[in-house]
Amino acid sequence: MRQDETLSANVWLKCPAKERKNHSLRKRGHSMTVCARMRRDLGLALLSLMSVAVECNGMSPPGKPVLLGCRSPEKETFTCWWEPGSDGGLLTTHRLYYEKENVEGIHECPDYRSAGRNSCFFDKSRTSIWVEYNLMVVASNALGNATSEPLSIDVMEIVKPNTPENVTLLVEERENSPCLSVRWEPPRNTDTKSGWVTIKYELRVKQQNSDEWKEYASGTQAYFSLYNVNPGVVYMIQVRCRLDHGSWSDWTNSTHAKIPNYLQNEKLVWILVSILSAISFITAMCILVMKRKHVQQCLLPRVPVPKIRGVDVQLLKSGRAEDVVSALIFNQNFPSMGPCVEPIEEYLIVSDNYDVPPSSQKRKKSLINRAGIHTDLEIQSTSGQCNGVMAKESNDERDNFEKSNKSLSEDTISNMEPDQLPTQKPQCSNINLINTGTMHPPNHNSVAERIVYPLANSSYVDIQRHENIQEVDMDYNKVKEVNGDNIFIAVKENMEAEEKNIPKDYSRVTEVESDNAVILHIQNISADSSDSCSKEKRNHNTDWTDQKPRNPHVTRPSTGGVCIQLTGSGYVETIPVPPLM
Amino acid sequence: MAHRRTSGSKLFMTVLCMVAACNAVPITELLDRASQRSDKLHSLSTTLTQELDSHFPPIGWMIMPRPSMCHTSSLQTPNDKEQALQVSESDLLSLARSLLKSWVDPLLVLSTSVNTLPHPAQSSISNKIQELQENSKSLGDGLDILSGKMGPAAQTVSLLPYSGGNDIGQDRISKLTNFHFLLSCFRRDSHKIDSFLKVLRCRAAKLQPEMC
Repeated sequence: MRQDETLSANVWLKCPAKERKNHSLRKRGHSMTVCARMRRDLGLALLSLMSVAVECNGMSPPGKPVLLGCRSPEKETFTCWWEPGSDGGLLTTHRLYYEKENVEGIHECPDYRSAGRNSCFFDKSRTSIWVEYNLMVVASNALGNATSEPLSIDVMEIVKPNTPENVTLLVEERENSPCLSVRWEPPRNTDTKSGWVTIKYELRVKQQNSDEWKEYASGTQAYFSLYNVNPGVVYMIQVRCRLDHGSWSDWTNSTHAKIPNYLQNEKLVWILVSILSAISFITAMCILVMKRKHVQQCLLPRVPVPKIRGVDVQLLKSGRAEDVVSALIFNQNFPSMGPCVEPIEEYLIVSDNYDVPPSSQKRKKSLINRAGIHTDLEIQSTSGQCNGVMAKESNDERDNFEKSNKSLSEDTISNMEPDQLPTQKPQCSNINLINTGTMHPPNHNSVAERIVYPLANSSYVDIQRHENIQEVDMDYNKVKEVNGDNIFIAVKENMEAEEKNIPKDYSRVTEVESDNAVILHIQNISADSSDSCSKEKRNHNTDWTDQKPRNPHVTRPSTGGVCIQLTGSGYVETIPVPPLM
Repeated sequence: MAHRRTSGSKLFMTVLCMVAACNAVPITELLDRASQRSDKLHSLSTTLTQELDSHFPPIGWMIMPRPSMCHTSSLQTPNDKEQALQVSESDLLSLARSLLKSWVDPLLVLSTSVNTLPHPAQSSISNKIQELQENSKSLGDGLDILSGKMGPAAQTVSLLPYSGGNDIGQDRISKLTNFHFLLSCFRRDSHKIDSFLKVLRCRAAKLQPEMC
């Protein structure tokens, strides 16, 4: 149809060719000749006809394509796109031609298909970096060609990577502050192993309801943690990257994440905890109340109250006096004193018809025992020693005394041949008998220091002569030892010449013949001290010393060298001394 | 800023020297530091060219000299990834050092002529030019130390003299054009240096994949 029209046009007009047809009418100036005017009118008519005809057909040379740009996603390949111009109604092909720096010749695009329409893909073998490419696209159709403006690129300038991939979000619960952890992967096809490219990432965050994005740089790391996230809010996150210092990639599609509402969870937890604790508390209190007595015993044990055996507290509380007294002293076991024979002095009076010796002691009449000796068993109270001593040591000493009495009496009876006097048990006696050996008289001269044992009682032997007993005369012999309870064996000792009034005439009892006979041994005694007796004795024997001037024959009785405090004045009058008094 | 850069470069230098003397810092560490510097260098050059382009009259595109006219274009460098991965470490380092050394003079020219640059962002550009110079200097020193550790092949440096003279033009257009041209050449070369060093770093730190 075109050819027909062309022919017709050639036939009809001798005006310019059809190429100028579109322009001719517009470019015609205003200079008109008659012929030109006619030609113009005809031309106009023809052109209008032809344009109508052409518009129905749409044939023209292609329009000039426009190179849009190129892009290298990984610095190894690149793709260029162009936009074709109008195709002129005809089949228009587009070809891309390029020139490389330092390479001779013009080359054509190797791949028109891989990157889609109107694109040219340069694969790895065709891609060179740091090399300038001069590109142009030529659109051509039957009517002509059209060449685009050239485009000069360097691969290093057109690097724009793909978007990162697989953006994953993870909500991490940390104490009271939740954290949003974002992870992604490098863009596809990008080399991360050889160091050819260095990928840097960026991400941005937005709350669902707001419009503001907050950007964060992630460097070369493919992960990021967001800490300022609020619970109960939905967050949208996007990531992008770039290679070296090229262009940024596109943002990834938004990834959503909702931070769970921890506050509610916490509240639930706290409510549960409080309910459970309340229940346990109530049950514990119930148990405590029900078993309060048992608890009380455990927690507040009874303090042991001091208890007096036999004392009835209730009785005390009732308050009757006599009952109180009986209660208090009911079980008191006082050590039984026994009948304290305190007031009576027990002594044995052996009388030989002499008068009863003087008056300091009270004498009672004697009893005749089986030994034939008048014994006057009476206990005279001393100055209270009896009681005191007795109270403490009664039992033991009594036993000792008894034992020693027995032993001694057995020993010395053979010596003495006296009849065993009945042992009267002075209950207050504290006599420790010392057996000083035999009764041999010859040791009179020795001055014996004897241990003083206080004779609590005033057991003494009062030997009275059957002859004249002068009450006033006081001839004393020292008692060497005591046989039994109330036998004193007088010992003559050398007295030191301390006392002036030592009587010279005194005698020693050698043996007791009978119940009322004592054999005396007469010796001259120098001045013997009477100091073998203690001072106490002196005190006690003041009577004696007083009596000394009256009666020089004063001997003090002592037992076995022991100065016995005799309040009594046991004495032996040996020589019928004419009364000095 | 410049003073800090000087002190920073001096610090970098002293650290490298001490490290070289004590032989305590491993090569991977040195490479890491060097690549960080080169990254900074490339970043600076990129922003500079972008800043310059923002006000560059588009007319001047046509008369712009071609990048093949850079004074460093005669240096044979790998042009894609396969080639770059096949080059030895010493050669890579040598290339980087050669490129860097070739820019000492041109950068000086740039820094002197930026003061009269008819550009609205002239002060910012001037500042960045100063940074470029310092970074380049410190990187050069670091690479010298590195080359000492990597063998004799790394010591060879190709000479690429700059023949542009001290003048970048008289009129406004030519000044801007030449300035832009030089900076684009520098941007390319800084990218080369950066890429080579990062390939080296990744290759040296085989046990540390995060270096790649």
